[in-house]
Amino acid sequence: MSEFKSGFFVGGESSNGRVLIVDDEPDIRKVVRMTLQKAGYDVLEAENGEKAIEVINSGENRLLLDVIICDIRMPKVNGIEAIAYFRQNYPRVPLIVLTGFPDTDMATSLLRQGVVDYLVKPVEGDKLKASVARAMEQRELAHL
Amino acid sequence: MVATSSPGAHLRHRSERIEPVPTSPPIRVAIVGGGRGGTALLDALHQIGTIEIVGIIDKDPSAPGLRRAQEINVTIYDRVADLIKIPGLNLVMDLTGDPAMKSVLQEQLMPETDLVSGQTSRLLRALVRHESALQTELLHAEKLAGIGSFAAGIAHDMNNPLQLILGLAENLTEETDLDAVHLQARDIIDAVKRTTAICRDLTSYSRRASLQQDCLIAVNGKLDEALKIARYAVALQDIEIRKLYQPDVVVKGNPDELLHVFVNLITNAVQAMEHHGTLTLETKAMADATQVRVSDTGSGIAPELLGRIFEPFFTTKPPGKGTGLGLYNIKNVIHHMNGTIEVESHVGRGSTFVLTFPSESSAGERKTPS
Repeated sequence: MSEFKSGFFVGGESSNGRVLIVDDEPDIRKVVRMTLQKAGYDVLEAENGEKAIEVINSGENRLLLDVIICDIRMPKVNGIEAIAYFRQNYPRVPLIVLTGFPDTDMATSLLRQGVVDYLVKPVEGDKLKASVARAMEQRELAHL
Repeated sequence: MVATSSPGAHLRHRSERIEPVPTSPPIRVAIVGGGRGGTALLDALHQIGTIEIVGIIDKDPSAPGLRRAQEINVTIYDRVADLIKIPGLNLVMDLTGDPAMKSVLQEQLMPETDLVSGQTSRLLRALVRHESALQTELLHAEKLAGIGSFAAGIAHDMNNPLQLILGLAENLTEETDLDAVHLQARDIIDAVKRTTAICRDLTSYSRRASLQQDCLIAVNGKLDEALKIARYAVALQDIEIRKLYQPDVVVKGNPDELLHVFVNLITNAVQAMEHHGTLTLETKAMADATQVRVSDTGSGIAPELLGRIFEPFFTTKPPGKGTGLGLYNIKNVIHHMNGTIEVESHVGRGSTFVLTFPSESSAGERKTPS
């Protein structure tokens, strides 16, 4: 895993990938970070869509970011608005939705918009890691 | 723009009159007998704008109907002869079931006054009881329908702690640091407690309103409780909440029903703001009244709709999103508490619902015939 600094990803070959987790619940960010760091990923956090946009636009994050995991129900810029922004401005960064509320219509709509996975909390660590791994493959294909 | 709904008066519009409200003289009614039947009838008639209850009598000074009459400022009479000679009296309702009373009334009534007694009175009592039971059912049904809209909020609040519990438990299977194990186990316990609190709040709210006697309710605490419940129905994250509470404000009523009123008003207010704006909750105890104000900075209510919002089945929400019974039930609960509900609204600037209740010191004053 490459060196992690608060707010910035640092380039390096040793990391399995760089993931941004966007969720208003600190507990969720903590537990997702724990799971993904153990699997060799670098993780940055944002508490809402507005912060997420700030984080992505900081330093070289926009170049280094591999996957975004995003909640839906959040204050300020919510998940739907944030996802629309990410898809428009960073179409090559795969998006995974991790939400507390299963909504079939919303899932269909988001998957049509290019979201790679729609996960409903609580999601097991193995499933989350598999989803991130699939998203990483998609990210690599996008680079080709 | 203001619309008012109060017991003894149909919806009235102040400031701007939309259309003339037809007025006809009220039916002036006297009630003889303050037992259970008389009390139920008193409560029912008191809420009908076209009926004026001019007085009540019972030989038992501790009859429940007389206590109720005091609370709602209906004059209590000591002599039947005084009651039935009130000028302009249209109708005497005898609920004593006593044939002797019936014959006295038949003899002494003025020709222009009608009498309802005997089997007709029994029938009327049965209808009032039935109507009261329907109101209770309607309130509960509307509350349960509203709880359907809590699904997203409940799922959010349940699944977040569950995600934490699952993630920590998975981590614990491999964790070797004893301090970390203790810390994470404690986090799991806290998360379980949070989940349990959600279930407790909701099961308590969804139960049928208790049939207990009206009691004094601490209004500020009830508003806070309502906020906790309303956040399952509407997202409050982007709403600024201002609490302008005067300490120790109390009103008399059914606590379960008042909670339902507050949840509905807060939910409506947040929906009107489309999840962005300021919600102000204000309580105030004045010399002769207690006031609760729920204000939003939302879309407001169009003047042509303002006079209809308390009507049953009236809704501006899309099909499936509202029963149209929320404000109708609120009005009924407030009237039962001898209060009034008034709306001030400006399109594009927001709405304020003003609930006014008789203050506890003034509600119990005995009014005697002049």
